[in-house]
Amino acid sequence: MVHLSYLDYLSTEGKSFLHHLSPGWKILGMLLVLSGIVLLKNLSGLFLLYAVVLGFFFATRLPLRIFPLTLYPLVFTILFLFISDFQIQFVLRVFLKVLSASTGVVLLLATTPYPSIFGVLDRFFPSLLVTALFLTYRSIFILLKVFEETQHALYLRGGFQWRHPKRSLVNLSNAFGHLIIKGIDSSEKMYEAMTLRGFKNKIRY
Amino acid sequence: MSHIHLPDGILPIWLWAMGYLITMVSGALLFRLTHKEDLTKKLPLLGMMAAAMVLGASVEIVPIAYHVNLMVISGILLGPSLTFLAAFVVNVILALFGHGGITVIGLNTLLLSIEGIFGYFFFRLFWKVWKRLIPVAFIATFLALCLSTFSMIGVVSLGVSHYEDLMHQDEGHGVFEFKLFKKHDDHHGQSKESAEANLGRFAGVTLSLGFLGWILEGIMTTLILRYIYRLRPALIKLEQEA
Repeated sequence: MVHLSYLDYLSTEGKSFLHHLSPGWKILGMLLVLSGIVLLKNLSGLFLLYAVVLGFFFATRLPLRIFPLTLYPLVFTILFLFISDFQIQFVLRVFLKVLSASTGVVLLLATTPYPSIFGVLDRFFPSLLVTALFLTYRSIFILLKVFEETQHALYLRGGFQWRHPKRSLVNLSNAFGHLIIKGIDSSEKMYEAMTLRGFKNKIRY
Repeated sequence: MSHIHLPDGILPIWLWAMGYLITMVSGALLFRLTHKEDLTKKLPLLGMMAAAMVLGASVEIVPIAYHVNLMVISGILLGPSLTFLAAFVVNVILALFGHGGITVIGLNTLLLSIEGIFGYFFFRLFWKVWKRLIPVAFIATFLALCLSTFSMIGVVSLGVSHYEDLMHQDEGHGVFEFKLFKKHDDHHGQSKESAEANLGRFAGVTLSLGFLGWILEGIMTTLILRYIYRLRPALIKLEQEA
């Protein structure tokens, strides 16, 4: 999640051809990738799809340090592989689908500023939903800052140590509790500020 | 653990499409019951709670492939209808980071909502009986997580024949596949038995790791609620019931 601000920076400061393309086309492209993932049947088709998405990733010259983000979702699929006998065909299919989707999403987020994405979504979905999404996305940055400060306090109080699980759990829970209370305080301030600016369940992007 | 970390293209189309449909209908019904003014006031709070849940989900406990959801706390602080919207928002954002596919957002919303909404009701119900925060919070969280994990296994089990297809798909039978519903004569006997056996293994692994997760999240939720109760008891809204 700490990469979020870096992705945000890349999306606004990048100069590649994908950065200049309209957000609507990029979202459409992402939907095409998703359709491919859902509908493609054989391994060669899925390899081709991944190669295309990967080709776009390297063509836009995005920094390689964000590439591991595309591999992160593989961690979550391992549990599901128990449903098969870890058959190589099944594993490859699942991995290629995961990698195509995650690379596509990272590509979208690293080349499109998030207000532009929400602007497009606002045309097709209820504004309440998009507003909630926007506020959540904005709040992640606020909470990340609080989280960084809390982490320092946490380390000073012993942090998280496997040797002291009880104390560690209490520390971690207090940190989350602190995060929630700080978040609620910020949300009240945010609500007052938004009301002063005439907020009525809709944000104009 | 309780929501589906499946990527796109694994669950059958009818299943995830149904997930979206039920989510839309349930969402519409729940919002009819919510006051508009209350909604406007609570949207920033919803955003903050959803952000806290996203951050919680990003702290992975690697040995047991588990992460905390904070869904029960969210349910207690936001109430059932807003928890549903928070679950949807959290799943959209998590899906954007590959934490579950985009097509399974509907199903994940339903499963996480089960956790949040039942957590809320269990918490209120047990509070009326015991009036002691620590056991009430722990048991409510444990039961809510247990319920949503079993629901998740139930949802995954609905697509067994589709996983069979994925396992036994031969190369050279075309590039694309579009089956809204599964034909009944696709697989018989032995393959179906082996699929059932595999689902048992999946359920076994999920439940055994999940059990540790439920305890861990139960303890964490209890400690977080105790912290909030000490500093801001009004947020949990228990005083009038005590």
